[in-house]
This record gives sequence, structure tokens and C-alpha cells, in this order.
Amino acid sequence: MSSSLKELQDLIQEKYGIDPATLDPNESMRDKGFDSLALVEFLFEIEDRLKISLPDPDPSIETLAGLAAVVDRVRAQQADAGEPAADTSAAS
Amino acid sequence: MSAVAVTGLGVVSPHGEDPQALFAALLRGESAVRPIFPELAKPAAAATVAFDESRWFTRLQLAGVDRVSQMAVAAADLAVKDAGGLHGAAPERVGVFGGCGMGGAVALEAAYRSGMATGAGRVPPLTVPAFMPNAPASHVAMRQQAQGPVFTYSVACASSAVAIAEAAKAVQRGEVDVAIAGGSEALIVPGVVMAWQAMQTLAAFPAGDAQAAATAVRPFAADRSGFALGEGAAFLVLESAARAKARGARAHALLAGWGHSCDATHLTKPEAAGQARALRMALDAAGLAPAEVGYCNAHGTATKIGDPIERDALALAWGGDLDRLKVSSTKALHGHLLGAAGALEAVITVLALAKRQLPPNAHCDAPDAACALNLVRPGAVDAPDLEAAVSSSFAFGGSNAVLVFRRA
Repeated sequence: MSSSLKELQDLIQEKYGIDPATLDPNESMRDKGFDSLALVEFLFEIEDRLKISLPDPDPSIETLAGLAAVVDRVRAQQADAGEPAADTSAAS
Repeated sequence: MSAVAVTGLGVVSPHGEDPQALFAALLRGESAVRPIFPELAKPAAAATVAFDESRWFTRLQLAGVDRVSQMAVAAADLAVKDAGGLHGAAPERVGVFGGCGMGGAVALEAAYRSGMATGAGRVPPLTVPAFMPNAPASHVAMRQQAQGPVFTYSVACASSAVAIAEAAKAVQRGEVDVAIAGGSEALIVPGVVMAWQAMQTLAAFPAGDAQAAATAVRPFAADRSGFALGEGAAFLVLESAARAKARGARAHALLAGWGHSCDATHLTKPEAAGQARALRMALDAAGLAPAEVGYCNAHGTATKIGDPIERDALALAWGGDLDRLKVSSTKALHGHLLGAAGALEAVITVLALAKRQLPPNAHCDAPDAACALNLVRPGAVDAPDLEAAVSSSFAFGGSNAVLVFRRA
């Protein structure tokens, strides 16, 4: 399981008040109300919170599990490149 | 031409979301103008809205939806509910005609702050769809599933009066069965307030004095010093009187005529002749003589320059019948809603007709001799013979819009 999934679920709960139990990670996020605009805003929020830089919006990201996999991959790439860990201290 | 009926009223106003309560507050002379932003160098006051967006949007739906659109969606929804719904109108036969002067000022201010002032280096990703001035009308269309003409009129302070007139034309021409017409404005943010302060048009009051702020806007008074900004939204549901009757809908009033003109002389200084042309055109369109109109909800911004010019325009249009026309500017109490002003004041004018009561011209203890009008005095609310009323909106840019309503 993606290590980022829980963080994204927590972020969705905090930002939108959506209980993770009602958002199946393998179901379409669009069907839950995340249209393309809401998704772009959410991607910015993920970048700000997790201190990562996501690739341009990928139309293949349909599910929360798919999004978490992208975040995992970006984090792994950043770790390989020797970038600082994505914790709050990185912002200071 | 077929008559146009006003069958729905909806407001998100500094006096709340119930048109009846709004009107009652105006009759009592209650001001919604309060001091704001104490951090600004110059004292500022405005009439703001205690708006709970969660009644209209989930947090997920709020992505990229500025306050100006949120309030538009709410006011339009209230208007449609007041009309008893769209009553089976085909979606492509429903239009939205919205007025907005500025667009999403909250989103723009946030973008400047996050992108420039804080050094974050980037702005919220939905800044553009949030601030574009036609977003409010489009959000109303999505919420109401209006698939006909959905237009935005940006004519400064006349925006929503123009929108209402254009909507009525579409109803009369048979282009739509139902028009949702009005406007919204939400620009009470520090940067925009400072811009208005720089225009030297806002009412002065001593810093920190809430009572002085509440009474700072004094239309047609000798000691007037300008207006206070307001925010909010107001929408009307318009349909042909024949359709309203066929479905058994209550008509609050009839929109009987409208007039448009442009001074074409100066961007910000109004001109009596231009305003008078719009007033006369509206009366002619309604088939009314000046003596048949009992009330004018004036533009009345309480600026030194504007008020006597509006008086002169009314004198040109009403001639010897000017003294029979009761006049008040309710901006003294709800502030100047700019792009939404025409719509809010149209709602107030419709309610004045329906109730045969007139909101007072507040805070005018000593009228200016240069503004000699039959002003509605506080307490003198009853107008038992009222049959027709006008609402005037005169904009920066020189565009003038006048709406004429008759009792249904």
C-alpha cells in the first residue's frame, strides 16, 4: 500500500471535510465531486503541504490510489536526488 | 409588447437574506454600515454581509468559487425558490443576466498577497476562474441548469440595472421563458477599499466611531461627504405576465419600462442631461407620465458632485411634477453595492410598490438646497396611492440605467 495514501486521506478530510471511509481509493475521484478544477487545487495543496513538486496534471490520475502512487514516485525521485526530506523543517 | 412580471426576489444583503426583513429594517432606518479594517491609515466603513457559504456549497464545491459568485448563487437560488421554482421551463429557455462591476476581488487580493507580498512565488491555481467577472452568472447557470443565454454586464454601478433591463427584453422578445436577473459584488478587501479611498468618494467619519460610521452616508444632505461600500447580491425572476398568470404565480410587480443613456462627457463626473434622457426613455417605455410615478429609489451616492446633478436630472424629466415624486436613496443604510446596487435597489423598489410603503432617505437632517427634492422623511412611510416607481443607477463611465416598475 502507498505510504502517501493516508496523508492524502487526512488532507482531504481536513480541507474538504470528506470522511476517508466515504472515498474508496480505487474509485473515480471525479464521481465524488473532484472535477478538473477541484483536482488542480488539491494538487497545489499537496505540493504545499508535502513540499514536493508534482508533474503537470496527469489525466490518467483517476483515483486517490493512483494519485498516492504518483506522490510516492515523486518522493522516491526526490530522495534519490538527495533532496531534503519532506518534513516541516524543510520549509525553514 | 407583453408585460414582464417579477415573480421572484432573492437577496444576500447587508440586512440579511430575507427581502421582507431587509425592507422592514430599511423602514426603521437601520444602518448596516460599520467600521472595517482598522489597520488602514484612513478610517474605512462598509456594509458587509454575514454570509454562511456552507448553506450553498460543500467545501469541495468551493474550489475556485469567489465570494462574489457564492453570494450570486445564493441570491439567485432564493429568488427562484421565491418564484416557486422554474416551473417546468426547458433549460435552454432559461437565461441568466448578471451584473458585476469587478469580479472576484477576494481571489485577486489573495493572489497578490500570496504571489508577491509573502514571497511564495505562486498564486492559488484557480485564481483566474475565481476572479473573472462572468463567473457569478455562470455559477448561477450551473446551479439552476440555465442553458439559454447567460450573460454578464459590467457597467460599473449600473451593471445589474442594465442586466435586469436586458433580461426583460429577452423575455419580451420570447428568447427565454424565464430570466434570472440581478447582480453581485464582493470587493470589501483592503486593497480595493484603499483604491476607493483614493477616489475621494467615500464618506468621512472619525476613526473608531461606530455610530458615526453608521450615519456617515447622508444622501442629499448639506453635510454629505460620500458613500460607503457595500457587498451582496440580489436577483429577480422575470417571466411574461401571461406565463406567470397561467401557472398561478404571484407577481410582486411588473417591470414596465427601462431607459439607457450615456453622458459621453466624462468618465466619472455625471451629467444631468444624460441621466434625464434615461429617465424620460424609461417613462416613455412604460407609457407613464411623470405625475403617475410616486417614488424614486435614487442613485443618491451622497457625493458632493453627484447628488445635485441627480436632482437636476429628475427636475428635467419630471418638470412641474417634481414635488409630487417622493425620493430616497437607501444607500445611506445598505451602502453602495456597485455592480449589485441596481438589483438590490430594484428589489427594494418592488417591495415599496407591493407594500405601498417607502423607505426613508436616512441621515438627512439638513437637506442641501441644491438637492431640493421631496425626500422621504423617516417615519413617513405610507404611500397608499403608489402605483409606479423608478429605480435609478448612474455609473462611472457615464452609463445611466433606469427601471420602472408598476404594481401588479
